[in-house]
Amino acid sequence: MGWAKYLEDIVSRRNGTSRVQAEIKQVAERRAPSKAAPKKTGDKAMSKLKEFTASSARPLPVLLLADVSGSMSTNGKIDALNDAVQEMLESFGGEDDSRAEIHVSVVTFGKDGAKVHQPLAPAAKVQWTRMTAAGGTPMGAAFDAATGMIEDRAQIPSRAYRPTIILVSDGQPTDEWQAPLKRLLGAERASKAARFAMGIGDDADEAMLSAFLATPEARVYRAHEARQIKQFFRWVTMSVTQRSRSANPDSVIAAEPTDLDDFNF
Amino acid sequence: MSNRLPDDYFGASVVGPRHRAEGKLNEDSWLGARGAFGTLVVVSDGMGSRREARRGAQLACRAVLDAVRSWHKAGARDLDELLVRIEPVWCSLIAPSTARDCAATCLFALAHAHGQVHVAAIGDGLALLRTRRGLEWIVGPRSGGFANETAALGHSASWTSRSFPRAGGEVVVLATDGVADDLLPERIDGFVQWLMDDFAGMAPSQRWRALQRELKDWPTPHHTDDKTLVVLTQREAVLA
Repeated sequence: MGWAKYLEDIVSRRNGTSRVQAEIKQVAERRAPSKAAPKKTGDKAMSKLKEFTASSARPLPVLLLADVSGSMSTNGKIDALNDAVQEMLESFGGEDDSRAEIHVSVVTFGKDGAKVHQPLAPAAKVQWTRMTAAGGTPMGAAFDAATGMIEDRAQIPSRAYRPTIILVSDGQPTDEWQAPLKRLLGAERASKAARFAMGIGDDADEAMLSAFLATPEARVYRAHEARQIKQFFRWVTMSVTQRSRSANPDSVIAAEPTDLDDFNF
Repeated sequence: MSNRLPDDYFGASVVGPRHRAEGKLNEDSWLGARGAFGTLVVVSDGMGSRREARRGAQLACRAVLDAVRSWHKAGARDLDELLVRIEPVWCSLIAPSTARDCAATCLFALAHAHGQVHVAAIGDGLALLRTRRGLEWIVGPRSGGFANETAALGHSASWTSRSFPRAGGEVVVLATDGVADDLLPERIDGFVQWLMDDFAGMAPSQRWRALQRELKDWPTPHHTDDKTLVVLTQREAVLA
């Protein structure tokens, strides 16, 4: 008998016509016919649902931590970085086959410490302001800024896909960075971010950049000339856009740098 | 016929655009059941990356029903005694498949014949109770992490659960993350009221079709997930 009851309920969940539900309807109509009377739905009800649901796609946040210390002003590095970021923003903004909306923020670290150069916003809406290079390399402060941003659910809601953090630097940190990095890698949400790192020139601290990646199979991308800075950002762009187009944007697709061979730079 | 109104439930589940595009079936499942134990509703979301996610979700619903029946039959009333029964039943139902292949979330609400409403969940989604005093969240909105991160049956996860005395007029809403993640938390009260105003009074077959249509025409851009929404209500809530 129990099984028969089970079957009846399985049927009822498909077409809602079980005997018990019919009885409920009869009693309800006897008690309060006006309230229990079927209402017409359709366009009116659909428009109501919009009032209770998010009106934008789930964001896929990309956070760039950009070294704008004085050394970045030499050999055209800051110009190449500006161009590469602009190109990345245009690629993200032009994505129309996306299951997620790519949001971008840029945190610079240099003369003014770590500061939000570009607040988190949909890539398509970002009006890019070029960065200038001066001062030291307060990378620890940038790690804390990144952690604060990712842990802040008002900025990155829980419905967002896992963020991507891109770290670009051409030198040694000039502030205390180990503890801030530990905080980032230990934070509930920031620790789950996909991470990319690029060291520019021979002075880049590769050990520190590897510590940021914190994954044995991940590797630091080395750039020795301005052209390679753009190449790195094309690689990152490809990885992020592949994620945003994929069936599950939370699966981190690490495009191989060799995939870039298919592109004509 | 008695004029005492039993609890009512209604719900719907639709395959999401991602699975439709991949030619896959709905990996969400739900079940409503009424019996000597009271009224039970269950929703489950098979973990997308798992081979038998759909089967895992379907059997999660059945496991809860089987566990509720045996728990009630044994005269038990303590919710924890029910919760410890569910996972072993699920594991026996999915055998010989592994828990890893069938991983699924599990959220249920039981309006127990002995006068309590039990709500419990493993994994993400939405489980909330509306009483005359206000809303009680059992699951959701996400307290941490990001979209698509969840615990599941078979992964040693612990249940989140609450029990409430029945005072009349309670409404329980359960949903999988395809619905829950796109709902605005600050508008959830209005959402529950909309379900009661526009659906609770409809004829069952018309209601099922209307709710399916709403889930199919989900308004959030680029939504991807399967969607399941189930409501358990005391009739007093409808008639109030």
